[in-house]
Amino acid sequence: MSEKKQEILAEWLAEFEAAERRSLKNRLRYAFIKTYKPVMDDAEFRAFDTMAEYRRWCEENLPRWLGYARV
Amino acid sequence: MRAFEYRQAEEIREALKRHNVRYLFIGKSGAILLGFPDTTQDADLFVDRSAENARALVAALGELGFGLTDKQASEIESGKDFVQLKNGPFDLDLVFAPDGIERFEDAWNRRVEVEDFPVCHIDDIIASKEAANRERDRESLPRLRSFREYWMQKRTP
Repeated sequence: MSEKKQEILAEWLAEFEAAERRSLKNRLRYAFIKTYKPVMDDAEFRAFDTMAEYRRWCEENLPRWLGYARV
Repeated sequence: MRAFEYRQAEEIREALKRHNVRYLFIGKSGAILLGFPDTTQDADLFVDRSAENARALVAALGELGFGLTDKQASEIESGKDFVQLKNGPFDLDLVFAPDGIERFEDAWNRRVEVEDFPVCHIDDIIASKEAANRERDRESLPRLRSFREYWMQKRTP
């Protein structure tokens, strides 16, 4: 990780500071959402021997708009 | 399936502690525990892949209410790199070999404890997302890197 300082956008800084003021319990309450992800949510259990295999499965099976494809 | 709740995070922490499972929150759920304001769908755990640890994890998952078949349990114990669970009270991703992190031990030594939750250091969370290099990671990384700046400044005396 580069130690080079980067400017924090004012909008993001305000969000980071607001989050810091919340309790962990509240942060988690706001953070976790549940929406149906096609294909991904259609099996109760999946296991992959390697991460490469998992990434490949995502690219070959999930809708592109879910964002799991590698750049 | 309802969204993951704080109470469930506590249940994970307590069940895995009872079974002495070595694990770390990673991914966006880990970043959120560190204070990153964002949304996610499930919790991601980076788990030490030793056989003993994997057996302890399976026992803890049973206590948490995951209905693992013998075959599924043996797949977790046999050292898969990635396991996705949607057969319990909440969705859980088990990552045994995250992209961008060489060894569990290294991440463990850099871990951060947040209210007793063991969490990957922000640098490891960013490294894993950079290495995965998915479209969704590319979108979230600039804000996550900014959060890292903020978080590091807060931790520097």
